[in-house]
Amino acid sequence: MKPAPTLSNAFLEPGGQSLPTPLLELRKQRGTALVDMPLPTRKTENWKYSSRHLKLTDGLAATLPATGKDGLSLSLPGYRVVFRNGVMIPEASDFPDLDGILIQRFGDLDDADAAALAERLDNTLDSRAVQMARLNSARFEDGLYIRLDKEAVLDQPLFVVHEVTGTASGSAYPRIYVDAARHSQITLVEEYLSSGEEPVMVDSVTEFMLADGANVTSVRLVMEGENVQHIGATGVRQAANSRFESHCVGFGGPLRRHDLMVRLEGEGGECKLNGVVVTQGKQHYDNHTSIEHVAAHCNSEETYRNIAADESHAVFNGRIHIHQDAQKSSANMNNKNLLLSTGAEIDTKPELEIYADDVKCAHGATIGQLDKISLFYLVSRGIGRREANTLLTMAFINELVEQIPVQAVKDAAQLRLNEFFDQTFEEA
Amino acid sequence: MLSIKNLHASVEGEEILKGINLEIKAGEVHAIMGPNGSGKSTLSQVLAGNETFEVTEGEVTLNGENLLDLETEERAREGIFLAFQYPVEIPGVSNLQFLRTAVNAMRTHRGEPEMNAAEFMKLAREVSKQVDLDPAFLKRGVNEGFSGGEKKRNEILQALLLQPKLAILDETDSGLDIDALQVVSKGVNALRAEDRAILMVTHYQRLLNHIVPDYVHVLAGGKIVKSGGRELALELEERGYGWLGVKDEEATPSAAS
Ligand SMILES: Nc1ncnc2c1ncn2[C@@H]1O[C@H](COP(=O)(O)OP(=O)(O)OP(=O)(O)O)[C@@H](O)[C@H]1O
Ligand SMILES: [Mg+2]
Repeated sequence: MKPAPTLSNAFLEPGGQSLPTPLLELRKQRGTALVDMPLPTRKTENWKYSSRHLKLTDGLAATLPATGKDGLSLSLPGYRVVFRNGVMIPEASDFPDLDGILIQRFGDLDDADAAALAERLDNTLDSRAVQMARLNSARFEDGLYIRLDKEAVLDQPLFVVHEVTGTASGSAYPRIYVDAARHSQITLVEEYLSSGEEPVMVDSVTEFMLADGANVTSVRLVMEGENVQHIGATGVRQAANSRFESHCVGFGGPLRRHDLMVRLEGEGGECKLNGVVVTQGKQHYDNHTSIEHVAAHCNSEETYRNIAADESHAVFNGRIHIHQDAQKSSANMNNKNLLLSTGAEIDTKPELEIYADDVKCAHGATIGQLDKISLFYLVSRGIGRREANTLLTMAFINELVEQIPVQAVKDAAQLRLNEFFDQTFEEA
Repeated sequence: MLSIKNLHASVEGEEILKGINLEIKAGEVHAIMGPNGSGKSTLSQVLAGNETFEVTEGEVTLNGENLLDLETEERAREGIFLAFQYPVEIPGVSNLQFLRTAVNAMRTHRGEPEMNAAEFMKLAREVSKQVDLDPAFLKRGVNEGFSGGEKKRNEILQALLLQPKLAILDETDSGLDIDALQVVSKGVNALRAEDRAILMVTHYQRLLNHIVPDYVHVLAGGKIVKSGGRELALELEERGYGWLGVKDEEATPSAAS
């Protein structure tokens, strides 16, 4: 049997020189462990539909430069931290120094904080499940550490903008770690953007550690260009009575992959995961989510919607694992899919593993097309085809878009959705 | 205004309309009655442009223009309005947004400026009152969870907003309580105008007490088998359809032909 392919040496070059020692050490260690890590192939179950889109050519191994002019004009409200090619750009960032809240790039951490972070990094992720996150741990050049002390509340959303520049081919490894102590609160918006045309890979990891009663809202907007492959992982661990809310809005590309893993580890924990994915052309988008009910009396609520046009392909794999001791768990998963063309494809798969007997678990998945009768009703009122199709498609995701708690994100998503509609629906 | 000549239409290879002839002039109100399954809704839907039905023969003109060549939305912009027998529920699209989009599509077609949200809201509230529909219904999804009667009032609301040249009302009276029937009739009568025609499909003479038609037609087995004045409706109420050679309950197109 042919051995599974492994990463080429080009990906294993040393780097990370500007990191504090504890993080640099961790990075090296992770790099060593990568040497014989098998890469996802067609036979890797959780990469079944996506491995053929994953390109790990030597050209992509190059670290993208952290310099270059601002490719994107950002006018974001509130606090923001801007990373270009995985490295923070202080001039473009603007956030306050608040009591009880540490917001700092990895490169600027003092030894004690860096050591504390090095101990935590990767601890929300199941490394077997997210191969590509391991590459991030071996390659990050910088990152953002957010630590909220007990009862600290960040009073405005924090935007973390990750921009990659495709003026040359290469890869970037954005990294965020959020440590939310008891009863602290934060809303974090991750926005992924790109400029330039050369092939680029973004391999991002974001981790959230929620202590008792912490309340974290995560918003993730993926809008990079056609030259960018994006493989992302988000790991979440929740202690008792904590609440985690996630709103992902993703637009397709040659490869978009997001693994979202939530572990409910303390009683009374709650998570709500919303996702909207839109693909067109030959784009490919793969969402894998996993919710583990480890402790009893937790609630999970998951709603994902895919819209696929042209010859694009969207994948949703929703795993719910209810552990033996997780009695009185309540888990709700719903995935609805809309095919806008006969050439588009959507694969959806629930994966339920339930080992406790006293649980409420509901799941549903549908794949459909726009309703012809609804369309007729709209056009019979003089509404044009494009507008009618747009109204109906928006109706499919409205509920989720409306729930996004940050207006600026809603607006950005809506603009991009309008472009999508204009390209997808022709005026009759 | 509307001229239908020898119209044949079929669905899935089965002929439903078998040669309809009908002339409607501006200012007139025509009522179409007839047994269940005789093709009344099919005729209405064909006029509005529902592509489920295939027109196999005949012609339809609206003010001299060939209607069958136009797309549904173009027909609407030329002034055709169909109040659906079964109004469609569209969750996720607010009624207000739907109505404003429709009104603005018409305005754009006429070269008028679009109405902004505030202007439209004012207009929509006024017209809601006219059909006795709580303005709260504007915020809900299109027909979403509306009762049968509320859906019918929402149809008339649309007709009043869009001011069509030809309003086709497919059983807008069925399922209405006595008060709602009054309200809807008032709405329809408000639509009556010199330059507008109304074609209403109904099973009941009682509607015709409120909206007095100029002509009554009986559609059976895909054809108009009898036409007359308003007194024909009374006669039908008394005698049923049997005397016309049409059986009341057995009126599928195949059975009637
Ligand atoms: N989409 C369709 N597919 C198949 N058959 C259809 C379709 N639409 C209508 N028909 C058939 O066409 C015939 C006429 O139906 P239509 O709805 O026009 O009757 P109607 O006169 O409006 O009846 P009612 O008084 O019950 O509303 C019926 O036999 C019906 O089953
Ligand atoms: Mg009917």
